[in-house]
Amino acid sequence: MKNKFVSIVAAALVALPLLAHAAPIKIGFINSITGKEAQIGENLTNGAAMALEEMKAKGIQVELIKEDDGGDPKNALAAYEKLVTRDGVIGVVGPYTSSSANVVASRSDQYQVPLLVPAAAKEDITMKGYKNVFRLNAPANVYSSVLMTAVASYKPKTIAYVYAATDFGVSTVKTAQENAAKMGLKEVANEKYQQGQPDYRPSLAKVKAANPDLVFLVSYDADAILLMRQAKEIGLTPKAFLGAGAGYTTAQFAQQTEISNLVISATQWTDDVNWPGAADFARRYKAKYSKEPSYHAACAYEAMIIMIETASKSNSAAKLRAGLKAGSWNGIMGPVKFADYNGFTNQNNHPMLVQQIISGKYETVFPAQFSKKKLVYPFTR
Amino acid sequence: MKQIILIAIIAGIAAVLPLVTGESPYFTGVMISVLMMAALSSAWNILGGYAGQYSFGHAAYFGAGAYTTMILITQFNLNPLLSMAAGIIIACLIALITGSIVFRLRGHYFGLASIAVAEIVRLSALNFEFTGGAQGILLSEVSLWGLDLNSKNPFYYGMLLVLVVTLGITLYLRTSKTGFYLQAIREDQDAAASLGINLSFYKNKALLISASLTSLLGSLYAVYIRFIDTSAVLDLRLSIEIILTAIIGGVGTLWGPVLGAVLLVPLAEVLRSNVIGDALVKQGLVSETSGLGIFLKENLAHAHVLVYGIITVVCILYLPKGILGLFRRVK
Amino acid sequence: MFFLQSLLSGILTGGVYALAGIGMSLVFGVMNISNFAHGDLMMLGMYLAYFAFTLLHIDPYLSLLLIIPTAFLFGFILEKVFIHRIINHLHQNQILLTIGLGLIMSNTALLAFTSDPKILTTSYSSSAVHILGGISLSVPLLLSFVITCGIIGILFIFLSKTTTGLALWATSQNREAAQLMGINVAKMSAIAFGLGTSLAATAGALIAPTYYIHPMVGHTFLLKAFTICVLGGLGSVVGAGVGGVVIGVVESMSSTYLSSDWKDVVVFIIFLAVLLLRPQGLFGKKGEQ
Repeated sequence: MKNKFVSIVAAALVALPLLAHAAPIKIGFINSITGKEAQIGENLTNGAAMALEEMKAKGIQVELIKEDDGGDPKNALAAYEKLVTRDGVIGVVGPYTSSSANVVASRSDQYQVPLLVPAAAKEDITMKGYKNVFRLNAPANVYSSVLMTAVASYKPKTIAYVYAATDFGVSTVKTAQENAAKMGLKEVANEKYQQGQPDYRPSLAKVKAANPDLVFLVSYDADAILLMRQAKEIGLTPKAFLGAGAGYTTAQFAQQTEISNLVISATQWTDDVNWPGAADFARRYKAKYSKEPSYHAACAYEAMIIMIETASKSNSAAKLRAGLKAGSWNGIMGPVKFADYNGFTNQNNHPMLVQQIISGKYETVFPAQFSKKKLVYPFTR
Repeated sequence: MKQIILIAIIAGIAAVLPLVTGESPYFTGVMISVLMMAALSSAWNILGGYAGQYSFGHAAYFGAGAYTTMILITQFNLNPLLSMAAGIIIACLIALITGSIVFRLRGHYFGLASIAVAEIVRLSALNFEFTGGAQGILLSEVSLWGLDLNSKNPFYYGMLLVLVVTLGITLYLRTSKTGFYLQAIREDQDAAASLGINLSFYKNKALLISASLTSLLGSLYAVYIRFIDTSAVLDLRLSIEIILTAIIGGVGTLWGPVLGAVLLVPLAEVLRSNVIGDALVKQGLVSETSGLGIFLKENLAHAHVLVYGIITVVCILYLPKGILGLFRRVK
Repeated sequence: MFFLQSLLSGILTGGVYALAGIGMSLVFGVMNISNFAHGDLMMLGMYLAYFAFTLLHIDPYLSLLLIIPTAFLFGFILEKVFIHRIINHLHQNQILLTIGLGLIMSNTALLAFTSDPKILTTSYSSSAVHILGGISLSVPLLLSFVITCGIIGILFIFLSKTTTGLALWATSQNREAAQLMGINVAKMSAIAFGLGTSLAATAGALIAPTYYIHPMVGHTFLLKAFTICVLGGLGSVVGAGVGGVVIGVVESMSSTYLSSDWKDVVVFIIFLAVLLLRPQGLFGKKGEQ
């Protein structure tokens, strides 16, 4: 068994250079199909699948090899090494989670195979100067800066933080605190919680007593619904609820109109933004999967389009890297260019959007050049 | 003596394996996972298998090693080997505290208390600042005597060394006084006590040995992956995976945990990377667009833990000596 | 004000915990088994309530009438097929078997229902009543609490007044003696596990309208249920009831006066303290371990 396995590996390695021209170009996709992040992972799977189909229809043939990391960095590394050394891919899209992306990114220069990170938010990933790491989405600090800029003109004075004790939660709030300090916002409450608790009322009651103008929230999927239900229950009514991505940007959350109305959130993408093809993508996605696309789906879709387009013009990892570095795109995620700025390397300076839920529907409200609607402030029940 | 030779032969084969397979990071990576789980499960087996003290919180010692090493390297720039040694000290401290609590308890209570201690360690690492909290610790660069730590070989041999040491200690314990006492404790604590065996001393001794080895593996893992957070090194799932590996392989035997790891880790990897589904589709046995094809390609990866569950139930009900028991009717 | 709000919401949340704890305690008392699949049985109850609500349009509280017998049957069969084989085995093997069963349940649910969390939204999901000028109490939690009290009452009468109940109680006191007295202890075990399962499922259904439903949700409640059991004394129904409320209040108070990210640590420390200082729990009798 072991010998057979070894010989398969050996054969694959030997055969690689021969196959390179005959077979279509191979691309890898590392995603969290199982594990804690599986729910978001599914959105990425769908987005990527749509991109692949579309490229096929255009006659661009690539072979996509999908790998699951279960949200575990060790598995992500195994997946990347399998893709690179055994399957012979010339580029990889993924992984989804920040921890997995961090680990894989740190090895990419060793294997010299470009990695395009579609949706992981941790700043570190593109701040270490890795030549083979590219990131499409905006990093964690933009979530808070765009939200605060959106409400700055209303001159809020105080802010409270309620967030999950996760990497994304803690990183985002850290940058939010820096941004708040610049704006002169006073912090009146800081409630970090462990995910999945049935009762957040005590934390919310503390926030209510501090009477903040802004409540800044970072929560995952269903926790967001739970928190907002309990906030309504105890009558927490700030001037604005600011949700940083994740749980506050899902269709499931918006549908809970009783609690989600007028909640403001930061997102990488909306379906009513005026970027080319955004609305059309949303329509096709809905038709195919009978649910609304999340920004993760859009990020994965665009990352996959960029990867496939560029890879089909290159027949080696080195050419693909050069292609990604030099290219520029303008698709459903707006203008994309992997640039070096403010300590970032190969980071797309993606403008994040601010959306507000109005009667169960997300409306883009900021920045003005991308939006049709105006922000509603203050929040009312 | 026979067992020593067997350990030597298997270690020898494992040692030359990377030379035979050539430079294959993926294969070596999977082998590192196999060796790590084999060693973790064998280290757990010293306490769980021989002394009969089923710890459900071994992730705490793994995490103690991983966190101590990472903190000392990233914040104090300490030599990785010294950091690993410090990890053992911290793990032993946690073990002593744990032991003083849980060894007073028996049966159900022992298992439950070991979970509670491990959860307190996990939540503390998640909440404190110096542990990196929820953000974890990322290690950008590490060096030791000019070794290429980007290569997998140092870690492959590191894990192999710890496994051999663990098996050696297990073998020694089996034939030593301590080993007999531990087995007496496993069979009947009251009888052992009435024979004048100092229960608490020997249980703690087994725990300290087990925790030290586990911590060492945690340190190696941390420097190997160069990123840790609580869900990677302190999760209850890890503790349970360690136990299941030993149980499925054969608890309380020298080779059971190794066999468990050799079978289960590649199985998990095969399911994760969906080799079976892909192969069936490629061979044309199953159409990619058929219901079965889609199920195999999209859902089989989900089945990895399900398979663990089924194997566990089958083992407990039908193979109390684990898979090793199939080969050896008589122990 | 803070104190009262915290106390009341702790008591209400604790009520649901109590129900989960009682089911586990009952199984432990009669069968002497720590059931690590208990949280996953709760998860199944949540899905039952969810599908009763979305497919059959039955109110989650009303659906209990359906869930209780279904879950009882499921538990009864589970005991007959798996659990009874290991009733005299080592504790660790019992634990591992139930862990295995739990993994099978949660991962089958994952395959069947995907990892999308389901939200059960009723017309009263986020409504509250306000008392004493400013203290708000969640309507669904209040309802759950009242139902929990009712179920505990019925259970108490069942255990102390009916023949089957008394036989269960006798089995939990002394299995061998009960057998000698002519009680069919094998049947009692199956009934106990069935009851434990239906209590777990009921707890799941009761929490469903104020929580979310996910295949891996059992883990969260499993450790709480254990803590409650140990606090009340493994095997003691009343103890588990009180233990649940105590844990609910402790969690609530620690979030209010300490910090919400440390509240689980407080719970685990209490758990260890009880094990060390009063291993028979608050309501257990000495030497019952």
